[in-house]
Amino acid sequence: MAELYSLHWRRAYRAAYLVVHDAAAAEDVAQDAFLAAVDALDRFDRRRPFAPWLHRIVINRALDWSRREALRRRVDRAESVFEPLPPPDEIGGEMIAALKELPAEQRAVVVLRHLLEYTPGEISSMLDLPRGTVNSRLRRGLDRLREAAELESLEKERG
Amino acid sequence: MSRRDPLAGALREVEIPAPGGAEERGLRVVEAAFAERTTGLQSSSELRGARTPTTSERRGRRPLPRLALAMALATLLAALLLSPAGAAVRSWVDEVLTATTPKPEPTLGEIPGGGRLLVQSAAGPWVVQPDGSRRLLGDYEEATWSPRGLYVAVAEGRTLSAVEPDGTPHWSSTAPARVSDPRWAPFGTQIAYRSGRTLRVIAGDGTEDRLVAGGSAPIAPAWSPLGDPTLAYVSGAGALRLVNSESLVDLAAAPALDDVAEIEWAANGDSILEASRRALRLREVQPRKLPPRPSISVTHPLPVAAGATVVDAALAPEKETVAAVVTNWRDNGTRSSVVLYGPGDAKPRRLLTVPGSLGEIAWSPDGRKLLVTWPAVNEWLFLPLGRGGESAVANISSAFAPGGQAASFPRVDGWCCRR
Repeated sequence: MAELYSLHWRRAYRAAYLVVHDAAAAEDVAQDAFLAAVDALDRFDRRRPFAPWLHRIVINRALDWSRREALRRRVDRAESVFEPLPPPDEIGGEMIAALKELPAEQRAVVVLRHLLEYTPGEISSMLDLPRGTVNSRLRRGLDRLREAAELESLEKERG
Repeated sequence: MSRRDPLAGALREVEIPAPGGAEERGLRVVEAAFAERTTGLQSSSELRGARTPTTSERRGRRPLPRLALAMALATLLAALLLSPAGAAVRSWVDEVLTATTPKPEPTLGEIPGGGRLLVQSAAGPWVVQPDGSRRLLGDYEEATWSPRGLYVAVAEGRTLSAVEPDGTPHWSSTAPARVSDPRWAPFGTQIAYRSGRTLRVIAGDGTEDRLVAGGSAPIAPAWSPLGDPTLAYVSGAGALRLVNSESLVDLAAAPALDDVAEIEWAANGDSILEASRRALRLREVQPRKLPPRPSISVTHPLPVAAGATVVDAALAPEKETVAAVVTNWRDNGTRSSVVLYGPGDAKPRRLLTVPGSLGEIAWSPDGRKLLVTWPAVNEWLFLPLGRGGESAVANISSAFAPGGQAASFPRVDGWCCRR
């Protein structure tokens, strides 16, 4: 179990963080996913890879957290004039800041596709969503990220 | 994904914060759970009622299954006799022992208390009819009932739409920026919503869209329940403001609660509930003749235990009674309570305390029941205000997944309708 945990924890935590954008919540989500996996070991088909099974739990738990938090608007609050986003100091930071502004559902598919490298078909199965919904969320998310990146470069050009 | 994909590279390599010792802490918890499981102490069914997903686990305490709970309680009760610190332990034990919840129905049937629910899932909003039948409205990010439940306002990206409860589109309007927090006025004539950081209002038929305020905090606005076009919102500067949505005249302003997360106007129009993660208060709305604008300077705090977190709060449909879900995190784990603050009550009344985290709370249209979500055990609880009649429904996630498969836990966005 320790070996399995060490192999997968960092990626699980990173995926959770990129959806919830809250370190404590990401820790909870990652830990809870491993606990859920332990609970369900009897039902796990050991001929299949462990990672997609774990990632499915991670992303769904992260979405649960994000939706509950949406009520309190903690995610949106980070976009507000009260708490402006810290200025990104690198290209990755810009991407992450833009990712944070996406709705949680779009963040989840972007993380599954671009961090965890699942195909839209696999994401569709993991999130129990129609393939078209996955594709549309991915497209909308990437469009917004592209717009953010273009805006950033335009602002830099203008000085 | 190609390694030349800049997004993939950024997601893989960007530095992200992690709480100190998170990986090691998690390993200890997971190893303990695994060891517990392999010694046969645990079954998945035993988790019900004791499963907490978050902070208790972070502290290295595995939520206890019932068999293990009994063993642990025996140890704790012994400690009560031996330890001077027993009072705190006894308090916790008492609460766990009294945290009785009804046996859940396996599937969602008739809604206890009647009415219709609006439920937001990963796939979009669902309308649940009184008999429990449900329909997915479409791939929308948010939804809210019209006052009589004849329509649902839905938001997706920059588009605000009105659809019928069977999903039939009625009208759509495109806003300048992303639409969020739509709220239908009590008499149906207008819908207020946020677009980016601005506050806008559109007529109930989708016409006459206009800007009301240029800076709005990310909190849903609240309409006056009295039929006048008065809208309460929190400005970007953190003030609670009242504005006439037709004349755009500012009517009143006062500093809102620090970190306010939710506002709601009481049904009698006399007060506005302000809720943050740490505090609750009712703000009086007093009419004045000269000038003909309300005063909102008087506030009444509602007691919240030190260190507790307010998860959600809601005003009863007809009274100034506030129901709230409050979570406490202590050494012995997370506990959540449903508490009621009645008008004139000296202290709040606790309806229920359970181990773990509860979610949203909603009043039934007649104000006699509360729906409380319990994501940790995948259930909804229906709690009457009097004695008896509690009920619960299990397997909520799969009830709101298009294929019927287990999915993420949905959010309750409304219980319709008062009239």
